[in-house]
Order: sequence, then structure tokens, then C-alpha cells
Amino acid sequence: MTDRPTTAFADVTEAEIRAAFEAEDYVAEDDIVTTVLLALRLGKPLLVEGEPGAGKTELAKVLAARFGSELVRLQCYEGLTAEHALYEWNYAKQLLAVQSGGAGPGGGGNAATDADLGPGPDADPRDPSVFTEEYLLERPLLRALRSDADRPPVLLVDEIDRADDEFEALLLEVLSDFQVSVPELGTVRAARPPVVVVTSNRTRALSDALKRRCLYLHVAPPSFEKETTILERKVPELDGLVASELAAMAARLREEPLRKPPGAAETIDWARAVAALRDGGGGGDAGGVGADIADSAAEDGADEELSPETVRNTLGCLLKEVEDVERVDDRLLEELLAAAERARSEA
Amino acid sequence: MTRPDGGPRADANGRLEDAVADHLRVELVRFVRALRRAGASVPANAATTAGRSLAVVGLGDRDRVRSALRAGLLADRADFETFDRLFAEFWRRLAAGPGDGDSPLDDVDGALAPFADPADEAEESDDATDGDDGGETDGDSARSLAESFAAAVTDESPDGGDEDEEAAARYSPTGAAEAVDGGFPLDSADLDDTFAALTRALADVRGRRFGPGDDDPDVRRALRTSAATGGAVLSIPQRERRRTAVRALFVVDVSRSVLDAVDRGFLVDFLRRARAAWDDSRVFFFDEDVREVTDAVDAHTAAAALDALDAAEARWGGGTRIGDSLARLRETAPEAVDRHTVVFVVSDGLEMGDVAGLERELSWLRRRADRVLWLNPLATAAEYEPTARGMAAALPFVDGLFAFAGERDVREMARQLCRQGAGGRVGYEFDPRRTAAATEGTAATDANGRPTARSTRETRGTRTNDP
Repeated sequence: MTDRPTTAFADVTEAEIRAAFEAEDYVAEDDIVTTVLLALRLGKPLLVEGEPGAGKTELAKVLAARFGSELVRLQCYEGLTAEHALYEWNYAKQLLAVQSGGAGPGGGGNAATDADLGPGPDADPRDPSVFTEEYLLERPLLRALRSDADRPPVLLVDEIDRADDEFEALLLEVLSDFQVSVPELGTVRAARPPVVVVTSNRTRALSDALKRRCLYLHVAPPSFEKETTILERKVPELDGLVASELAAMAARLREEPLRKPPGAAETIDWARAVAALRDGGGGGDAGGVGADIADSAAEDGADEELSPETVRNTLGCLLKEVEDVERVDDRLLEELLAAAERARSEA
Repeated sequence: MTRPDGGPRADANGRLEDAVADHLRVELVRFVRALRRAGASVPANAATTAGRSLAVVGLGDRDRVRSALRAGLLADRADFETFDRLFAEFWRRLAAGPGDGDSPLDDVDGALAPFADPADEAEESDDATDGDDGGETDGDSARSLAESFAAAVTDESPDGGDEDEEAAARYSPTGAAEAVDGGFPLDSADLDDTFAALTRALADVRGRRFGPGDDDPDVRRALRTSAATGGAVLSIPQRERRRTAVRALFVVDVSRSVLDAVDRGFLVDFLRRARAAWDDSRVFFFDEDVREVTDAVDAHTAAAALDALDAAEARWGGGTRIGDSLARLRETAPEAVDRHTVVFVVSDGLEMGDVAGLERELSWLRRRADRVLWLNPLATAAEYEPTARGMAAALPFVDGLFAFAGERDVREMARQLCRQGAGGRVGYEFDPRRTAAATEGTAATDANGRPTARSTRETRGTRTNDP
């Protein structure tokens, strides 16, 4: 392993990280702050795992926004290859350059002659005239490594568990040495290592090699108190009592064996939907089901308790699987409302 | 934590700093080793990372130290509980300071006794003895399945005993145990589609057919597409073999409590299909020890395989040592599991041995295998909960716990795996049959229409107590 480049955040303080989270309305517990501090000061990639909607991606966005860095995002998917993640040559442009005689093997000669003859037997296929910066298409990994901005970028490798094992292997060199090997150009090494955040939904086990290179952070589903705070910050138009009701119901739902338990992101969507319905008061919809929902919600008033109809009608914002929605029968709905009532009385 | 000048400090403060640094290093090494001994997955370079982390956050705040060590040492949420348990001892020893007792360096390479509960040590000692005993039975693997298990039965029941009483004490309290053998025809055609669906859901090994990918150039496709550009090949598509094959390892509990709850004909049919259709499947039976029975399942007729299963059945009260059996499997056939292997553990989770050992072995299995699925015949009951201590201990290490007593259970398993993927939220708790039964309050029958534990207990009397 080569010497690691010096991290640009070696002198960042815990207070600065807390301030960054506060400024971006990201409610972070102490363990998140400590782990992010370590990742920045040690210059180690951060592997963030947790349920969907727990705020893993948001974490990288917050860091980029607060530290004035570019966010370079690589969304992983099955079949992701080096060409899509690292770099690619602009083949069409290379072909045109060779055919026009302006570049390529034997470049500079007569266009017609070159096109007719093509590259000779002694031509170097890696002739720098067509394997130069001009023909290079940077993909996210290479862009993050070659960034010459004042602040190193934040490289977000999102949902690494969706990619294949082979892609994981490709990523190892980046994670350990912040460099990649491009056959035509040689080794490209980051002068200032990016802040790397790798997220995973734990849909498959990651390799030990990848884990070894990262600090590990598990983002748990938010507690009732944390979720209430999140809703108050992210949906300020919603009354605080109603926010606590929604948080209590989300927490109660997470106790059920759901296919897809709601994350903080879903709860925020739910809160925004409820807030929009209350704000609209039903007047914004010409009629139909939407108007009915809005009407029923409007009856709740800005800070009044949520009605069963409102909860039932907006559950789609929170639950994304038909089996999960079906699980909310009358009995469970009563329990949800009871939890909401307790939260309101204790608030 | 090395000193900048690299030389010895002459003053008293320097010696104190050295002692503290040594103490911290030693305790950190102890902690890491204790974590590994407890089955946690700790990367090889983790101690170094953790040390650097401590240098950043300092030692002033317990929670901050815990967060820093957790970030540096662990790589799996499943290990958090073990970490928290051991961290308390780490912190206590750290706070005690370097002057507490003997030189901290004395027993670094020892057995880490301070981290281990004395009772655990005793158990491990016993386990080691058991392991030795198990070693004496190495020769058994060369004997026939029927011989080896028959011998075990004979040796372990000299007095005959009251088998009914013993059985009552061995059954798990959390599920049904209704005898169902003989109810499922061997080589059932009903299982064809279900098994094919399960294969599709689990396929992770590359088969023979090609699809888009990046392994090899697809020359034929390149030529075909070049027709549109007048014969000029602008790009060469790639191809790779599609993932259509499954590699599996079956570890089947042959205790009576399991074999009475699962249809034996179905079990044998399932195993034989896996042998025939999947890429490379191996089958092991276990009770207090483990035996490979792949040939017995594979080589003869279905009836012969069923005979082998009958012969392998452990006697009442023979006990099930899942952890020890998995340890033997790891020692004798580690090559049976690799990163493409789907491990099926067929058991009711009634562990008669050391639960810590079971956790350790399952942790190894989980790290090594592609995925671990636990098939539990008792989970067919609507009121089933994995509270048996072995099952509860195993749960964090398995990707899915499924009911397993008949074709309908396999169909449900295949449905869930197809829809959610093996890494998704799958298992008995998501079985709609269970939800429906709970909602309707019809706990009288299980998901396969058989009497549940409640009704079974009512008819058979007391059937309790996981030991």
C-alpha cells in the first residue's frame, strides 16, 4: 500500500461537524458525529449501512453542502462496469479524428490516404494522439480523484450492495489508496483525497476487503424523540403536536413485521402530505377523492388530533408495499391512534 | 502513539505516559481478541484503525470511545450486541489503569481469561473434550450412515428409559410437533414448479447460458450490429454467463422432534431434487455429531434414501448439539461452504449444547456463505416465535427463517425470495398465511392445515421446556 495523501480535513473539529449537521437540519446522534469526525480526520472511507430512508445518502449531501465541496455521486446498480464508473474513451471522436487524419496512428498526413490505408502494421494502438485528455470521458470515480477544486469533493458511492462483486473489487484501489490505474494514462492518484461515503442497504453481504478499508457506521431507524425533532425541522409548517403524533405512529408501525418499515424519509413525506392537506383545507381540489381526503383532513384543524380517516387515506406515503398497507387493519389502526394520543398527551 | 523523537523519556511523566500507552495498547488487543473469540467479524487491520481513532477522540468520554471503537473495529450491525457486552469489560479494565495487578503484557498472548466468564471457560473446556470425543468418531464417516447412527443409539441408551417422558422434555415449546411422515409421496410432481421457482430465486452461480455482461466479447452480436454501419464494428458488446445455478449445503437436524414435524417423504424429495438440479449440493445430517449423507441421498432410489433417513434418526433424548455439529463441519469439510453457497439449516433450533458455540459457528458460516436460510418445521404454527434459546441465538446470523414442513412452505419461501431477494425482509414473520391465521384467530391449524402446537399440546399433554 502506498503512502496515503494527506487528508484535507485533518484539523476539522467535532464542533464544526455538529454545526454542519445543525445548519443542514440533519439530526445526528453522537455516534454519527464521532464516526464522521474520524472519517474526515483519518481520511478513511465511511461505510454507512442502515434501512432505506434512514438518512445515509443525506449524510453525504450534508457534508458536501456544508464544506463547500462538490458532491460526486455514483449510483450503483447490477451490471455497473468500469466504463460507467471510472472512465471511457470517446470512441466516436477518436474514430473521426483518425479518419480525418488529424490524429491517431500516422496522424497529420493526408486524410484520404490515411482513411484508405488505415493504421499500418507498426502503428501503436496507444498512440497518445487519440488517447489523451481530449478523448477521455471522466466518470464519477475518476472525476472525484482528479478534482482540482479548493475543497476535495465528497464521493458518494450509493447503494454499493446493488453492484456486483466485481465492481466492489474495482473500488478497492480507490478506497485504499485513492488512486486508479488507467492503462493508457498510467496511475491516476488523488492529490487531495475525496471524502468517500459508501452506503449499503444490507441487501447482500459486502466483501471483507471492502469493509477492511472503511470505517463503519450503522444508521438505526430514528427514535421517537429524534423523529419528532426531524419532523419539526423538516416540516416546520406542521404543528409540533401533530408531528409527535406522526412520529409515534411511525414508531409503532416499525414494531410490526413489515416488508418495508418506514424510514425517516417516508415519515417526512407523510408529514408533508398531512401538512399540505391541512394547509389546503380542501379548497384546492375541484372534487373527487382528493377533495374528500382534503376535506377530512381539513376538519382536523392545524393542531387538532389526526382523524382515523386522515391516517388511513395518507398511509400510502408511509407504507410502500401492498401487504404492509393491508396489515393496517382496524385493530392496528386503533393502536396507532392510541400511540398518537399518548404522544400528544405527553408532549 | 510512538513518540516523535523515538527515544526513551527520562522524566517521570514520560514513564507514566509510556505505561498508559502500553496499558491502552494491551487492553485494545485484548478487546479485539475477545471480540473475535466471541464470533464478531473484526477485520485484520481493525486494531490499528481503532488505535488511530482513539488518538483522535481521546479517552475522556466513554460514549465517544465506544463509537470510535465500534466504527473502527466492526463491519456488521449483527456484532453490535457482542461489542457492547465486551466493551463494558474493556472500559472497566482501561479505567483500572496500568498498575492494576500484574503487568498487562503478561497474558496478552494467553487465553484472555479476564474477558471470559469463568463459566464459559468451563464450558469451553467441556466443549473441547466433546470435540475430542467427536474426533474419535472420525472413523464413523467411513461407515454407513445407518451403522453409525444405529451404533450411537445403542451406545447411548443402555437403560432404555422412558422414552415418552424424555420426549416430552425435548420438544420445543414454541411450535407444533405433529407426526406427519408417510403423507407425502416420494418424487412428487407438485414440487416441480415450486422447486423451479426456488431455484430461480436462489440462483447466484453462473450457469451455461450467456447474457449481457462484461466477461467476453460477444463476436456474433458485434457482427450482427455491424450490418447497420456497413460492416464497420464500432463497439464490441460483451457477454457473460447468466446466473442460473445454485450451490447449496444442507445441514439437517435428524432429531425426533424435527423428523416428526416435517414430512419425511417431502424432505427426502426436496434433498434429492437439490442434488439433481443444483450445481453442487452436499447434505449433512446431525444430532450430536455430523455425518455427510450426500451419497445416501443421491445414489439410490427415493425409497432407499428414506430408509437412510430413518436409520439416521436420533433416538428420543439423543439431543441436538447444533453448535458442536457445525464446528465439526467446519473442521472436517470447510470446503463445503464458499461465497456462492446457500446454506440450509433444517432444525427446530433446540440446542442442547453451548449457545455461545452455536453463535460462534453460525457467525463463521454467515461470513463464509453467500446466505444462510434456516428451515424450521415448527414455524408452520401461526403462534410460533423463535424463543427456543438455540433458535433465538441463531436468528441474528440467518438471512431468513422459514417454515418447512411441506410443499406449501417451499412455495411460500420461493415467493418471498423471488419478490424480496434473499437479502430482503423475508421469513416466517412475513408469511401471509400466518398473518391471516393470527387475524382470524384460527390457531387451531397451521399453515399447512395441520394442528398447531396449542392443539397438539392439548391432545398430547405437556410438551414443554427447551432446556
